[in-house]
Amino acid sequence: MKDKRMFGFELVRGAAAILVALGVGTIFIFLSSDEPFTALRYLLIGPLVSLRGGIASFNTQGLYTILAAMIPTIFTGLAVCVMFSSNQFNLAGEGVALTGGFVAALCGIYLQMNSGLHAVVCILIAAAVGGVIMLIPALLKVKLGASEMVTSLMLNYVCMYVVLHYLNFVFADRSKGSTQTFPFAETARIGALVPGGSKLSWGFIAALAFVVIVAAFMYRTRWGYAIRMIGINQAFSKYSGMKVGGTIVLSQVIGGALSAIGGSVEVLGRYSTFLWKELPGYGWTGITIAILAKNNPLMVPLAAFFIAYLEKGCQLMATYCDVPSEMIDIIQAAIFLFFAAEQFLAGYRQKIVVKNTRADLAKVSASAQGGAE
Amino acid sequence: MEQKQNDLVVQMKGITKVYPNGIAANQGVDFSVRRGEIHALMGENGAGKSTLMKMLFGLEQPTEGAIFVNGEKVALHSPTAAIAHGIGMVHQHFMLVPSLTVAENIVLGMVPKKSGMFIDFKKATELTKEFAARFNLAVNPDAKVADIPVGMKQKVEILKALIRGAKILILDEPTAVLTTQETAELFRELVHLKEQGYTIIFISHKLNEIKQITDRLTIMRGGKSMGIYETASISEQEISRLMVGRDVILGVQKDTAAPTDVVLKVRNLEYTNEWNKKMLSGVSFDVRKGEILGIAGVEGNGQRELVDMLFDLREPDSGTATVNGKDVIHASQARIRAMGVSLVPEDRMTYGIADSATIEENLISDRFEEKRFNLGPLFNMKAIRAESDRLIQDYTVLCKSRKQKVKMLSGGNIQKVVVAREFSSDPTLIIADQPTRGIDVGATEFIRKKLVDLSRAGTAVLLVSADLNEVMELSDSLIVLYGGKIAAYFEDTSQLDDVMMGEYMLGLKRQSDEEIGRVCHER
Repeated sequence: MKDKRMFGFELVRGAAAILVALGVGTIFIFLSSDEPFTALRYLLIGPLVSLRGGIASFNTQGLYTILAAMIPTIFTGLAVCVMFSSNQFNLAGEGVALTGGFVAALCGIYLQMNSGLHAVVCILIAAAVGGVIMLIPALLKVKLGASEMVTSLMLNYVCMYVVLHYLNFVFADRSKGSTQTFPFAETARIGALVPGGSKLSWGFIAALAFVVIVAAFMYRTRWGYAIRMIGINQAFSKYSGMKVGGTIVLSQVIGGALSAIGGSVEVLGRYSTFLWKELPGYGWTGITIAILAKNNPLMVPLAAFFIAYLEKGCQLMATYCDVPSEMIDIIQAAIFLFFAAEQFLAGYRQKIVVKNTRADLAKVSASAQGGAE
Repeated sequence: MEQKQNDLVVQMKGITKVYPNGIAANQGVDFSVRRGEIHALMGENGAGKSTLMKMLFGLEQPTEGAIFVNGEKVALHSPTAAIAHGIGMVHQHFMLVPSLTVAENIVLGMVPKKSGMFIDFKKATELTKEFAARFNLAVNPDAKVADIPVGMKQKVEILKALIRGAKILILDEPTAVLTTQETAELFRELVHLKEQGYTIIFISHKLNEIKQITDRLTIMRGGKSMGIYETASISEQEISRLMVGRDVILGVQKDTAAPTDVVLKVRNLEYTNEWNKKMLSGVSFDVRKGEILGIAGVEGNGQRELVDMLFDLREPDSGTATVNGKDVIHASQARIRAMGVSLVPEDRMTYGIADSATIEENLISDRFEEKRFNLGPLFNMKAIRAESDRLIQDYTVLCKSRKQKVKMLSGGNIQKVVVAREFSSDPTLIIADQPTRGIDVGATEFIRKKLVDLSRAGTAVLLVSADLNEVMELSDSLIVLYGGKIAAYFEDTSQLDDVMMGEYMLGLKRQSDEEIGRVCHER
């Protein structure tokens, strides 16, 4: 019951953080917009409700768009869950997702295979490359004690400039006006799941499958167990005889592979050529998602949906109203702040703890008396 | 009577402190200090003395009870509030900035300014010199804190408190890091301060020091006060009895040991700690199959360092330790465990458990890679469930289910989780470091009984305990550690009495090398 009470508290805390964040967003909307109520309507219900012609109706294509937007961020969210679970604040998911997308694109262009198999091979190669990239901050941490937060953050830019170099000077299709690669082979593309222009591909099903796989890995295998225990208490894990260094490396390699899969599924599912010229942002979003999901893989789709919904709402708001699309950043930052702030609602939490302790002390003294009789 | 009341510079009445994890560290503690005395606060680790002092310094808030300073009820919500009431604290681990000079450290947070914005370094140096001279605390104001010896760092800390107007100084185990000479110097300075009307609260568990410089003392045990005494009118034996408590006798039935082969063989361990203090010298002993060898001693005489070395948590300067002939000094924890060594760690919250993991997850941490708990890549959840349910039942862990988080359990049940794991791996050697500290009587008795059962079934047991009662009653034979050396070896514990033990534990007596050498059964 005690655990349930604390779980309830966490839910309330999460909901409160989101509400406060939306509240902050609302203040900014009122400050910056001449038609704040219209803007709010677009933000809050616009993504799923079509507002054309004064009649509200459910927008199926809108839902597909949101689900499609969740595909890469579910993967990066899972990646961050795995890395953060071992208490490693690796932030390189961003650069690795970009590199993964690029590698998959190259494999899609230059390898020749049967359809079906081709896409899978592209993604697997990208995953392997992603894992290898993550070895850099992981080994630097384990062998030399370099902060993974710093090295992984810098690694993002290394990834970006390496990819841009090869895109610009080696693999660019010179016949096109903008910088992009040649188109992938048809066999490498990930097919659409539903008709229409929503870009909702089979990647979504793959993402959901990975949610289950990663959850099983974290809670049903010896490696996931070791990752979690090391994250909770490294001294305990070492004392228990676990291979702490190897496990820390493993968690980041898996994180790298998942980030790269996210990037490659997005590239092969949404586009026909590789045309990213900057960091795609999925790695950052993955961090927000993992924090919202409290590193629980099963909560990742929910968190990803929430973020995708907000982003879509902000886009609509920016398109149809006079509110800049940067509003999403303000709202995300506010959610971040309140989720990460340990002391948010700490007074309320303390009350629950005291209540529990008093109940326990009463029980203990009662049983002590019972024993004495 | 009225006079007496005014004399009490600090009074704490009915103090109870319940921490967020549900541990009641202080239960209805009364504490008072007279103006201008040196008052010792004594007790084992975990007795609640640090908690009490943290509340007096505003670092923690009491759950119940009131604090009076100079007869006036005060609310100490922060150290700033405590300092405003003239209370200063010198922590055991110094709170200094190593890269700054002594003077800069001393004026930190109250920096003298030049023309309103520049730091007046000259003034800071002068201020430091002035206070140092006034209180007879010799420090070099211009030296970098990183370069000065520990004894001087402590003086800097004391000066820091005094310069902020402290009239009441709390010193948390000030001698723990000092050499004998530094300690003597510190005592002279403290007496000097006392003569100038300052009040000093001195946390310690070293009997000789207490006797040497304190006027009165308060003894704490298990979160409760055991009373306030005039130092002159209480004997060392009495203090030690009140501190470690010989009064709770838990009858553990045990037949005579029939020890066989040597399992753990320790030879000539030497260790110097990071403050250049020799913590262990020439420690040699054997633990045999089927016996419990106890290590008695007042805390801080090398017990922790010894255990750490046997479990790869520290490296000795020199010396060897083997389990069944295999080196443990240079082996990883995984390899030490593979040799069949189990450790019940002294610090159970740091090493013994992962607090926000479930009971089940804590029970399998040393065996989750074994074949019986895995089916290919996946965990065999059924086997894990069966194992944890069995251990919870065998070790009577009081909980709602195996999925409950360990941190939600009481101290005794947390320790049972640790013990269940450590005792159930079919160990050849168990190192039990303070296995029953701070836990309830029921769990204590249970754990002691298990230890005896295991040793009679052929396990070698090394029991380290500051609880005299425990170590005398459980051990078949025992050694006493004093000042990092083995002071005595008793082959048969049945004829020992605590008065004699106390003399060895406090360094009043020491056996001959020959007598001590008998603990090495194998050449």
